[in-house]
Amino acid sequence: MVFLTLSCWIRNRGPDRFWKVQELLKHARHFRGRKNRCYKLALLAVRRAFVYATKGRKLKKRNMRTLWITRIAAATREHNMKYPILVHNLNKCSVQLNRRVISDIAITEPRTFLSLAKLARARQQEGFQAALGDGKEPPGVLSRVMLQ
Amino acid sequence: MTVSTRFGYLQSLFAALWRTNGVRVPLHPLLSLCAARTQSSVSGDPLPRTSLSRPPWSEQTSFVSAEEERSRHAAVVSSVNDRIERRDFGRLFAVVHFAARQWKVTDEDLILVENHIEAECGDRIYLEKVLLVGAEDFTLVGRPLLGKELVRVKATVIEKTESCPKMHMVFWKRHRFQKKRTIVQPQTVLRINSIELHPRLS
Repeated sequence: MVFLTLSCWIRNRGPDRFWKVQELLKHARHFRGRKNRCYKLALLAVRRAFVYATKGRKLKKRNMRTLWITRIAAATREHNMKYPILVHNLNKCSVQLNRRVISDIAITEPRTFLSLAKLARARQQEGFQAALGDGKEPPGVLSRVMLQ
Repeated sequence: MTVSTRFGYLQSLFAALWRTNGVRVPLHPLLSLCAARTQSSVSGDPLPRTSLSRPPWSEQTSFVSAEEERSRHAAVVSSVNDRIERRDFGRLFAVVHFAARQWKVTDEDLILVENHIEAECGDRIYLEKVLLVGAEDFTLVGRPLLGKELVRVKATVIEKTESCPKMHMVFWKRHRFQKKRTIVQPQTVLRINSIELHPRLS
């Protein structure tokens, strides 16, 4: 007698479940607890980790910029000036150094940073002088300044 | 009775003044006539003076005449020129604009640039957009760039690879929404060989 239905009952579910599971678990091997061994828990933890990494890459840019600004502000205050004054006057002098480089200079090249601060201060004084002017009105204009 | 008529007279008076924009509207018209208050801006202080209302350094600046400023400027320029002609500086550093980023660079530096560059491995390159050059005793600040005949930054392309695969994933909970893809960026490694200054300052 030949039994044929027994072999029809065996299903081949797919040969590579092991490797698909390992692909996920390899991202979880350094986690703590059962998340590094059990597939269901690892799935949730790995998904969360990837989403946090994606969001963190955007936040890193913002945080680094605020860090640079804080460092530049601290360095300018050592030279009796404030951060917005420095940045505004450097822009007016058309010096296009970005904040990362200015913070690096403030840390590793203090003399160069001092020269930048002095440049900004000089440009600020020039701006004040230009705004105050001679104390005279342009010709053909009558005002209180002339009558005084 | 007299109070009511006086109140009506004052109301019409203040209404006329309000229309001519000559008067700040007081809280109560009767009270403003009684309390004659002068403005505090006559004394000149916009803010009360506390320990944080002004910075700890003094804001006085000494006035320098134009001729003295010009002479000081000429002295500084001549001393820097002497230094450059005598090749008296030690190690130079430069701020270079390259691949949409600014790098603070010295000799023998390695730079990792996160994109593809149209040069083969081993090619020597001049980095031409130099924003600032500094030595120990002087700095040359470009507005915004320094001239090509003044500074020359030489670099070599060492390596062209791809970055490690980064996972980009979006997931919204309770919405059956998730997307996952792998990002691999091309990278280039440059070695800065030298920074050279040429003695031709104006």
